[in-house]
Amino acid sequence: MIGQVIRPNHRHFRALGSILWILALAFLFEFTTKATDLWSFQPVQRPNVPNPDRPSHWQTNPIDAFIYDRLQREGLAPAPFAPSLSWLRRISFDVHGLPPTPEEVRNWDNRNLEDHDVRAAKVGALLGSAHYGERMGRRWLDLVRFAESDGFRADFFRANAWRYRDYVIQSFNEDLPFKRFILEQLAGDEIAPNDPDALIATGFLRLGIYEYNQRDVRTQWSDIINEITDVTGDVFLGLGVGCARCHDHKFDPISQKDYFALQAMFTPIAPRESAPVATAEAWQEFLDQQEAYLKATESVRRKMDTVLDPALKSAIHGITIMFPKDIQRMMTSNPGTLTPLEKQLARLANRQVEYEREHAYNKLGKEAKIEWEELKKELAAFDHLKPTLPRADIVSDIGPDAPPTIIPSRNPENSIAVEPGFIESIPAPSMTIQAPPTAPNSTGRRTALARWLTQPEHPLTARVVVNRLWQYHFGTGLVATSSDFGNLGTPPSHPELLDWLTSEFVENNWSVKHINRLILTSATYAQSSTPCDLSRQRAEQIDPENRWLWKKSMRRLEAEEIRDASLMASGELDLKIGGPSASGSSDRRGVYVKALRNQKDPMLEAFNTAHGFSSMAQRDVTTTAEQALMMMNGNWAMDRAEILASNLLQSSHPTDADRVREAFLLCLSRPASPAEVDLALRTFEIASGDSQDPKLNQERWTEFCHALLNANEFLYLD
Amino acid sequence: MMTRKEFLFKGSIGLGSIALASLLKSSGSAQAKEAFSTASPLASKLSHFKPSAKSVIFLFMEGGPSQMDTFDPKPAMNQLAGQKVPSSFNVPITAMGEVDSPILPSKRQWKQHGQSGIWVSDWLPHIAECVDDIAVIRSCWTNGINHAGGVCQMNTGTPLAGRPSLGSWVSYGLGSENQNLPAFVVMQDNKSQVVNGPRNWGTGFLPAVYQGSPFKTEGAPIPNLFPEHSLDSTAQQRQSKFLNQLNQSHASQRHNNSELAARIESYELAYRMQSHAPEAVDLSGESEAVQSLYGMDDKETATFGRQCLLARRLVERGVRFVQLYHGAGSKWDAHSGIESNHTSMCRSSDKPVAGLLKDLKSRGLLDETLVIWGGEFGRTPMSEKGDGRDHNPTGFTMWMAGGGIKGGQVIGSTDEIGLHAVEDRMHVHDLHATILGLLGIHNLDLIYHYKGRPETPTINEGEFNRKLMKT
Repeated sequence: MIGQVIRPNHRHFRALGSILWILALAFLFEFTTKATDLWSFQPVQRPNVPNPDRPSHWQTNPIDAFIYDRLQREGLAPAPFAPSLSWLRRISFDVHGLPPTPEEVRNWDNRNLEDHDVRAAKVGALLGSAHYGERMGRRWLDLVRFAESDGFRADFFRANAWRYRDYVIQSFNEDLPFKRFILEQLAGDEIAPNDPDALIATGFLRLGIYEYNQRDVRTQWSDIINEITDVTGDVFLGLGVGCARCHDHKFDPISQKDYFALQAMFTPIAPRESAPVATAEAWQEFLDQQEAYLKATESVRRKMDTVLDPALKSAIHGITIMFPKDIQRMMTSNPGTLTPLEKQLARLANRQVEYEREHAYNKLGKEAKIEWEELKKELAAFDHLKPTLPRADIVSDIGPDAPPTIIPSRNPENSIAVEPGFIESIPAPSMTIQAPPTAPNSTGRRTALARWLTQPEHPLTARVVVNRLWQYHFGTGLVATSSDFGNLGTPPSHPELLDWLTSEFVENNWSVKHINRLILTSATYAQSSTPCDLSRQRAEQIDPENRWLWKKSMRRLEAEEIRDASLMASGELDLKIGGPSASGSSDRRGVYVKALRNQKDPMLEAFNTAHGFSSMAQRDVTTTAEQALMMMNGNWAMDRAEILASNLLQSSHPTDADRVREAFLLCLSRPASPAEVDLALRTFEIASGDSQDPKLNQERWTEFCHALLNANEFLYLD
Repeated sequence: MMTRKEFLFKGSIGLGSIALASLLKSSGSAQAKEAFSTASPLASKLSHFKPSAKSVIFLFMEGGPSQMDTFDPKPAMNQLAGQKVPSSFNVPITAMGEVDSPILPSKRQWKQHGQSGIWVSDWLPHIAECVDDIAVIRSCWTNGINHAGGVCQMNTGTPLAGRPSLGSWVSYGLGSENQNLPAFVVMQDNKSQVVNGPRNWGTGFLPAVYQGSPFKTEGAPIPNLFPEHSLDSTAQQRQSKFLNQLNQSHASQRHNNSELAARIESYELAYRMQSHAPEAVDLSGESEAVQSLYGMDDKETATFGRQCLLARRLVERGVRFVQLYHGAGSKWDAHSGIESNHTSMCRSSDKPVAGLLKDLKSRGLLDETLVIWGGEFGRTPMSEKGDGRDHNPTGFTMWMAGGGIKGGQVIGSTDEIGLHAVEDRMHVHDLHATILGLLGIHNLDLIYHYKGRPETPTINEGEFNRKLMKT
């Protein structure tokens, strides 16, 4: 009963009657009055770095001072440093999503990790490589529900979505100040309308699902705007704001009015499909060439239009009449006569008309179709003249005047209009909303939102980012619930450290690499995950979750890492950065595999890749028999093993033992022990001398390589 | 300090929630990490209260069967044949915009059946024989007007993708009674993609262990069950010996790591599945009489008959949730030519479904197996293209049998032309709450914490409909 009062079930509220209503409201009132006590809404304050008595190799990095201090107070001691090769494999996957090469492993063995400069040099090299952006970018793509298809019955591929993905990768590689990264994604069109990257960045607002044949246009439009509001809360505020869409948030100090004030930032948007994203010069060049092309093709295009015309008219008529009458009126009206909301609805409905227009040739009669195909060939003869521009799905505002933002109600008379605003309980100064000089035809609302989020006084934005960075390197954030900084989330394990890192981040111009570097060079990060000293048992009892970081936690590789590491071992991996997405059967890295919402790559899906339907703060780690079957019996893993085996056989290594050692370096990033070499040679009766049948030999080597790819050690990082 | 409200909230989880006690590593929470896999997340769990059903067979008629031609006779609709829907009916937005189209009469012959005298049309003569075990719900309604939204909602509660399917909520809440087979199995009658694809049986934000496993109905039912490049058994032994030694030595240097142990265990489970899964789909032990009860001796009913029989075998073996798609890829979607479409769709499913009910009953399994029949929505009284019907989410029929359902009754009604549900309206959330309730799960107490929200299968809505229950 109590649960039902607290958990809002609208019907139950009605049924339970007024007494429980009053009780419920009393609870809510009590809650909201205490709400501003929430730790995450308090201003960030840079604390002093503690100075516990600690060994010299724990003295260089301020992070270690905080961690050591806490361990001491909990009566714990840190683990010794990891073996140098464990650290190398760990940091290579964490920063690049790739294993170190055999060459790197050989060069790294027995380095003294306790020497800070040794670690710092490696971290510097890793952060300087473009693979850094691929790994960091993938994490961001999870958060922003990146996918490349519509996610409905027709799961149409979004051929331009990769440009947003590449923008993300490039931004991390350039260490674009994170506040700029936020600003561009929320309002790139307003603050830098001539910068192609800033326009592509607004693709963040276009990653949601879309149903190409939905005639209930009003509902689809409100679904789109709701989705954008929710994902913004998840990603930038680290708060699940969605609850407040239907009622004041029951656990966090977010009112329904706050929700819609936030939503009002997005209500003016106008999605733009396949819009050109080019510099002014590229545009001019395009226009000049376009003119020539249009001139040259004028007559053939005119003929094509004539042939297509009847089918086109009927297609457009056919689709238009499927919409409700009021929407039909908007679709066919001069946009100048419509209100901003009507313009938005008309545009959304007319995407369906556009689709029909593009596919009208399918409705041609047999003979007309032949004629049309002939003309199309004629037109193709001019393709060498046809200029192209990069295109992307982006947004702008529908105009300087925004449509109203309404809190819906079952009874339309009770609906309330809400002005754009900022969540009231968050103690950060409001921003003035005005069209920026760069975009006079916009409302400026999204720019104001981004500026509000990224001001130094904002207690959430930078904390949330820094905490995510910590999670990326330790598996769990200082706040374990990295997208829930609210009352149902967990409070930070090391609040002073979180605030110190946040201050560092903001003072260093929101540099992500600065924080990565601090974390990755720390002694805390260099700890062993498998300390064997006696103190371990005690630590295991006091802190089984490793909240105080008395060791490094092990982790399983993520789906893309498993793919990339397998292809790397077999020597197939294409290390090219960026470009259009490829199929799962290609040799591209996982981050470039087409992310179709309704049809994921089976291997990536089995190992818990992001689903792309909503913001994902942390990957699940499941262990299933399906994974085992896929790795043992599936063709993909078997093919990698076969290629690895034939590479080994064709290599210049003089002995079989050398080949076994090379396989260990490739798959496990460490040398094989003599016992392991012996075990492999004996078990698989491997001997590639002349006496052996080459086919049998290849099979035995494949079995061996396949076993390595199935080993726990391959899948887990110390 | 915990506020009073927090205490009550957290307390209420402790009272009710079984699922939190399950040992899974939930996203964003570290606390369960170390406990991970000391028990399998799919281990059988206790329900909230005494269940009346142990397992579910959901017969999904994909595309939307017409209620006014099967279980919901509408004489007034036939009287209005050829006319526009009278203005007294509030006509909703429809998928293809058939708002003003003339009403299409039903050409069916109707009869009352069984002791209960429930009306069933001549399209479903075999199911009609089972009406005394069936509760017909004529007042279902949903939100999505298109297939994608409708199928998604019937599976996950909402038309928009991203939430866990009902079957995965059930696996999460109750686990499975057979660790050698998946807890949640999905089959389909043809090779077309079910609208939306695998996400219909996906887990949304729940961990992927709870997802439905698509079963092929012949040979090796699970993907990758056997290697394509067949290894001889000595090769397999060689490989597993080497792998075991590597894994053992790896684990021995990493004490008490339950995740590593779970992964070794997952390989052993995979080996066990290699024998259990093919056995489950091997029908050689089923008598001819049983096979013909399901219509397996008739070309038209053989495919779905086989799947219905497989469904029985799976629930017999402890599988928790079986979903069969009949007409996969919207084959029930009769926008035109409803006569020929539904004649064939009904024909190919009627006898198999009735066979399933009869077989379950004769084995004493019907009492513990909840059978559900229906599509993502129904169809409109208005015609489309002259001889078809458009989608109708505002009023349609589903039925339930077994698993504690009181058969031989009709729940709810639609208006005189079958357009809107009017009495005892059951939203998809109510259907889901009822299904969960029959399994002993309180829909508002099955909780998974995700991004600051205590998520429930019915999104804090949904009521158990007691009228459906036996006592």
